[in-house]
Amino acid sequence: MKRLFQKFTIGVVLHVVYAALVELYRLDSRARKEMDALPEGMSYSITTGHKAPVLNVQWQQGKLSSLVQLAEPVCSLRIKSLAHSFRLFTGQMGLAQAYACHAFSMRGEIADVMKLARLVNLVEGYLFPPVITRRILVEIPPLQVSSLRVYAAILCGFLSGRYKSL
Amino acid sequence: MNAYFEFHNSVKLLCGELSLERIAIELEHLGGRAPMLLSDAVLEKIGTLGIVRQAMEAEGCRAACTYTDIPVDSSLRVVNEIAALYRRSGCDSIVAVGGGSVIDTAKGVRLVLSQDTDDILAIGGVENLSWNRHVPFVVVPTTAGTGSECTGVAVIRNEANGVKMEFLSHYVQPEVAVIDPRMTAGLPPKATAGTGMDALCHAVEACTCLQANPLSQAYGTAAIRMIAEHLELATKDGSNRDARFAMALASTMAGIAFSNSMVGAVHAIGHALGGVCKVPHAVAMTILLPHVMRFNLEKCRDSYAALLPYLVGMEQAMVTPAEQRAQASIDAVAALARRLKSICGLPLTLQEVGVSREDFEHVAQVAVNDGALIVNPRAADEQQIIGILNAAF
Repeated sequence: MKRLFQKFTIGVVLHVVYAALVELYRLDSRARKEMDALPEGMSYSITTGHKAPVLNVQWQQGKLSSLVQLAEPVCSLRIKSLAHSFRLFTGQMGLAQAYACHAFSMRGEIADVMKLARLVNLVEGYLFPPVITRRILVEIPPLQVSSLRVYAAILCGFLSGRYKSL
Repeated sequence: MNAYFEFHNSVKLLCGELSLERIAIELEHLGGRAPMLLSDAVLEKIGTLGIVRQAMEAEGCRAACTYTDIPVDSSLRVVNEIAALYRRSGCDSIVAVGGGSVIDTAKGVRLVLSQDTDDILAIGGVENLSWNRHVPFVVVPTTAGTGSECTGVAVIRNEANGVKMEFLSHYVQPEVAVIDPRMTAGLPPKATAGTGMDALCHAVEACTCLQANPLSQAYGTAAIRMIAEHLELATKDGSNRDARFAMALASTMAGIAFSNSMVGAVHAIGHALGGVCKVPHAVAMTILLPHVMRFNLEKCRDSYAALLPYLVGMEQAMVTPAEQRAQASIDAVAALARRLKSICGLPLTLQEVGVSREDFEHVAQVAVNDGALIVNPRAADEQQIIGILNAAF
């Protein structure tokens, strides 16, 4: 039951993270700069555990898409257990802490993970309240728009079906 | 302290007199009878490689193939070429004799061979490999600095984009490392000082980065103490065998420390300086260490203060007011570098090594994508890295 709950929560958070990335491309100049610098076709796959939710994203023609399946991601992150994923995606652990605790393995170039890490840090800075970000981020990024605006944009996006996986 | 940490060191260390003479039997125990000998042209020319070869041959172990064209800044192409040569020559094991570039190249070759691939780029990543084909692997470091003989990382330049890539896996560690003071006896003063500062940098970053843990700190602080006590002596008097041996051990211990807790911004920026401006790794570490420590100070007061007894001795540390100890540690590192400069002319600024301010932006762009930055105690963006580079100019 606990595992089911964790899988469900992680699945929801992964959707929200992807949605936040899409919205931050519009709302935050740092996110836009990071994504614009990605090479065409750059793809990431994040596996959150055994038979657990997966997030596949690909940067194509100036747009980040979520994909149901990604045959050969350029960079794949494999979080070593569902328990670690749950901590990571519920604000109990930051990406730097996860790395320091050997919580994930990675295939691809480390430079690509660093790009993703900066984007995820931005997402966390917007989505989590300061009481959490102070604990999980090495440095809290200054927000260019209010978190409320990002949440509102995400909500609108979900209602309009903008984040459907391809 | 992190709620979880890992510590791995599976390298058998052969330390001290007549260590080289034991390579043959160790290889035999590992199943290696026809080793590939890897080194560089300088070590071949000055006879260092010959000492190792002689010690091996005297015990009946003859190299099936020798490759001595490994450049100072090796590359993925060189790794793939050597792996192909290994296969063509019927070798069954690797003996690497050299500094960081030779050993990291050998680690890359070993990865390619053990993972049954032709291209090291295909297996890049972090902790992503499984144990596959066994390739017996012995290393003989000829500098006292990189600690590469005990680390789970190989740093190799990607010629295509000039970026130094890190391959992190415990499977890159050799089975045996040979720490023989004969190997560093002929090291010139400037190289002795620079590589020693590299070891100090490994130890300081290992003790203070986000991945630091009690075991890596035990190795790191022990290394710092030995470096503080012996580096100047080894630089001034290269024939002092005790100082040479102490520095070799300190380098190995610092390597074990950072292999189990990573490094930080000094290495991230240093790798970028190496990739973009061809600054030798040890020189970059020497120049950057005090500046990055100043940058990190606000996040590292306690951890830097804890290093002071190892840097200046317990007595001097105890008479330093507690609130000044962190700054005193940085001052001690900077002062050591200045003394080394006066002994052997070790460069202390980026200007001295020909870096131009126009390169800073490119260096910063590469540095922010270096994996070492993720565990630096303070986040650093491109502008902050340019600030550090300006301070080091």
